Amino acid sequence: MKKLFKNDAFRFLFFSVGITLLIYAVDATKGMIVVRTVYLTFFDVLDIIVAVSVFIGLFQVWVKPATIVKWLGKGSGARGFILVCTFPIFMGGSLFTIFPLLKVLREKGARQGAIASFITAWGGKAPLLPLETQFLGWPFALLRLSLVVLFAFLMGFLMDWVGENPAGAT
Amino acid sequence: MRAGQIYLIIALGLMASSYLKDKQKTKEAIKATFKILYTIMPVLIFVFVLMGLIQAYVSRETIAAMLGEKTGVMGILYAELVGSIALFLPPAVFPFGGYLHDNGAAYGPIAGFVFTAILIGVTTLPLEIKLLGKRFTIARNILTFVIAFFLALFMGLVLG
Repeated sequence: MKKLFKNDAFRFLFFSVGITLLIYAVDATKGMIVVRTVYLTFFDVLDIIVAVSVFIGLFQVWVKPATIVKWLGKGSGARGFILVCTFPIFMGGSLFTIFPLLKVLREKGARQGAIASFITAWGGKAPLLPLETQFLGWPFALLRLSLVVLFAFLMGFLMDWVGENPAGAT
Repeated sequence: MRAGQIYLIIALGLMASSYLKDKQKTKEAIKATFKILYTIMPVLIFVFVLMGLIQAYVSRETIAAMLGEKTGVMGILYAELVGSIALFLPPAVFPFGGYLHDNGAAYGPIAGFVFTAILIGVTTLPLEIKLLGKRFTIARNILTFVIAFFLALFMGLVLG
């Protein structure tokens, strides 16, 4: 049991079922509302989630982190900077998965601004576009995506302006 | 046809062309896909339960009062704060945002929530500090919060 609880998937499912049962026990009508919401939303997104997972899975295999690092170089120069502000938009993963990659970029001499631009651009989340448009519509998604590029540029400039860590993280 | 079905067909097509190019890599890709599904699904279900809870206990008026059109700047700041603290995998951000919109939240606060939920993570702070340094982490998270605010404000104005 203890070992099971270390498993994130199990933990999330356990709490999901637990909370639902608890609500149901307290108030059956409210419990049914929860069940209905979960059921409807789940089947509303199932095909999209599967498709998105395939996109990200393929990307991960065909574009290895080492390739990305080589491509982006130091993220310096106009070409590098533009790449760093746009390319990560197409990557999947969570912050947990990209930080280690960024450490490598940093060790290769990428500037602080380039790293910050990378993180921000990665927040564009183009692989999730099917989900975003389904729930928030194309105008929202397209406007947000284009603003993310601007966001990444701004972060790059500002983080370089803030300056390097004097203690030197690299 | 549902949009999701079209995406599935595209995904299958990409898988097929990947298979024709490199069988080994495609096997890895399928494995990766299942791993992603395994990571995402339980979190999504948890978020759906959360949505169900809000559906059952929070009225439309309450959501509109906190994140609606009239809340303006405060609504965005509030949504950003929630996005920064909440433990959210990116795929769960959009269903939740869409859900809030259907229940009276305006686009500005939702944009603020989406930006910070993806880019700022209280839970990822320790890792970011460890790998990228304290100064970097603090500066990046504060700047992200501030710029996200103005972009969200802009998005709210444009999308109405």
